[in-house]
Amino acid sequence: MIAEPLDTETIAKVSESPSTETEGSIAPNDVVLEVRNLSVDYGVGDKMVRAVNDVTLKLRRSKVLGIAGESGSGKSTLVYAMTRLLRAPGVISGGAVTLNMTNDDEADSSLDLVTASEKELRKIRWSHVSIVLQSALNALNPVYRIGREFDEVLKIHRPDMSKTQRRNRAVELLTMVGLNEDRLTRFPHELSGGQRQRIMIAVALALNPELVILDEPTTALDVVTQREIINELLDLRSHLGFAMIFITHDLSLLVELADEIVVMYAGQIVERAGAIELFEAPRHPYTLGLLNSFPPMHGERRELEGIPGSPPDLSDLPAGCNFHTRCPYAMERCSREEPALVALGDSERSVACWLHAADSSERVPIELSRQVRTASASAAPGGDES
Amino acid sequence: MTEAMRTPVQLSARSLTRHFTTRIPGRFLHAKRTVRAVEDVSLDLIEGRVTAVVGESGSGKSVLARMLARTISPTSGELILQGLPIAKHAKRTLDYASRVQLVLQDPYASNNPVHRIRHSLARPLLIHGAHKNDVENLSKAALARVSLEPPERFLDRYPHELSGGQLQRVSIARALCVKPNVLLADEPISMLDVSVRLGVLNLLRGLCDDEHLAVLYITHDIASARYLADETIVMYAGQVVERSRGTALVDEPAHPYTQLLIASVPNPTDPTSQAPVRSEHSSFEIAEQGCPFAPRCSFAMDVCRQSDPPDFKVGEGHSSRCWLYASEPEAVVEVALTERRREGEATKT
Repeated sequence: MIAEPLDTETIAKVSESPSTETEGSIAPNDVVLEVRNLSVDYGVGDKMVRAVNDVTLKLRRSKVLGIAGESGSGKSTLVYAMTRLLRAPGVISGGAVTLNMTNDDEADSSLDLVTASEKELRKIRWSHVSIVLQSALNALNPVYRIGREFDEVLKIHRPDMSKTQRRNRAVELLTMVGLNEDRLTRFPHELSGGQRQRIMIAVALALNPELVILDEPTTALDVVTQREIINELLDLRSHLGFAMIFITHDLSLLVELADEIVVMYAGQIVERAGAIELFEAPRHPYTLGLLNSFPPMHGERRELEGIPGSPPDLSDLPAGCNFHTRCPYAMERCSREEPALVALGDSERSVACWLHAADSSERVPIELSRQVRTASASAAPGGDES
Repeated sequence: MTEAMRTPVQLSARSLTRHFTTRIPGRFLHAKRTVRAVEDVSLDLIEGRVTAVVGESGSGKSVLARMLARTISPTSGELILQGLPIAKHAKRTLDYASRVQLVLQDPYASNNPVHRIRHSLARPLLIHGAHKNDVENLSKAALARVSLEPPERFLDRYPHELSGGQLQRVSIARALCVKPNVLLADEPISMLDVSVRLGVLNLLRGLCDDEHLAVLYITHDIASARYLADETIVMYAGQVVERSRGTALVDEPAHPYTQLLIASVPNPTDPTSQAPVRSEHSSFEIAEQGCPFAPRCSFAMDVCRQSDPPDFKVGEGHSSRCWLYASEPEAVVEVALTERRREGEATKT
């Protein structure tokens, strides 16, 4: 029951080895979650809307994957589908999600979450994968005292624990997130938004999951509270070694927090890169636009443009690249053919944009071919091909 | 300074204060408590300028906006509209409403979902005395002003058919169609998508520059205040703790709260700038006596817990309400530190 501290050093080393692609060769368990070609539809027939389109992801153990995107980009739908929490009219229309678990008692195992039965899902939920939602006030039962939230989880998943053990574990968890144990007897409405979100995080960590999914956990919070919670989370991760999927619309937050970031637009991944590479050397025009949409805190004040137009309507997507109607670099080809997410050169990053296609005759604009400057990023070789 | 004197002040607030009385939760009868939502706030909204008010939730910034719009009456203090003081208990007149307009945070909540945009725009026009035959043209002009073009396409839409950014523009158009001099924008971009936020900010800037509106921009996002504002005010627990012209407030923050706020903003260019906070008590706690920020302040001295600091000038057009900037700060700090050592933990409890 007690956290088994993972050796992050060795994990980091393993994850740098190039041949993680071939399953079973070095460390199949290095990847905690693998999503392959996942698609999610809402509705059927003419009114069908594809909210998540052919998404492929890989999350390494103890790493933080950030998913950035605007409302309607499918980022929440993606994680609900991954964890099979998706409700009708949402339907998983294709793909596979593999969760690789390490167990204390039995051999390591993996499970396809898309085809798993409810019984199997019950086993992995909370003990292997847990989720923290945006609105803690809605997620906590208003008529339960905080202690009961912990008690219930532990009672169901760890039936051999005694009442005292459960309480001790709850106190331990609260201390972990910086709350006093007297909160156990409080009701959610007696706590501030930040405290509630801390409780949510503590409850999510109750069974030492390998993967914690956080869906906009700090969006409703003030900026100071957000900072506290982010620091808290990074702290906890370095102690407990869980992997995180962090969803937010705030790209600048992700750059600080995540190891790898995927940017979603209209249900598709348009760019995937290491956090620093993405921030310093974006390759997709949408990523660049998003980064330019945050007014800077330093330097000369100048007018920023942001992204023209409005977020896409999923039921009426343009032909070709979904972004081409808002894209300042759009070419003729963009309105005809849809770009696929392809790796850039031999680097680990990939982008879905015709500008970077190998057979493209267009010159890549300077702002989309910048190089990574920071020394700390040199560990990840080859920013790009330019 | 001279420039500020020449530019006409559209709306001034003098020592605006609003207290609310609430029961203390969990206690029966008589136990009542006064919440000081806004305490002694003075500001001038000047033609062609954007004044930003930055604060966290609960800092009183929205109550301030509503007092300026006169939908909440102040406990004390005075409003001066274009040089004429507003009598304290006077009713909010149509004339006042036509000069000062409020735009709210959530455009889906502030636009009636069962009426077309046409209706939303026509109502204020008719109420404020436009002729029936002109309404159509005036509505179109209002939409064109906020760059919703072509206007005909939007007039017959329902709110749910528009995106958040478009609908917020409609809200602004609706506020503008009565030709106000002052526009109060209460968190106009916080509900909008990142990619359309800048569009609304640039629109506000344009209205200010081209049509000489006085704009009050209320936000929790200090970066957007820096981007937009000519004067920035930081509020904490109902008080103005720091104000400055230009970007001085963000570039050289004086008050510890402003410093904390800025350190908390995600800043990928400087990952070392992490707020050093981690304790349960750092969540919103307000002192009953002395500086309201003292319980969270890492520089808190004894004097901070005993008396409320006045405004101290820290630069040209830049003032901070903090004892650290008293004329003899060393002396104050010295005295405070010795006393603090002596009293030790006793003061905390």
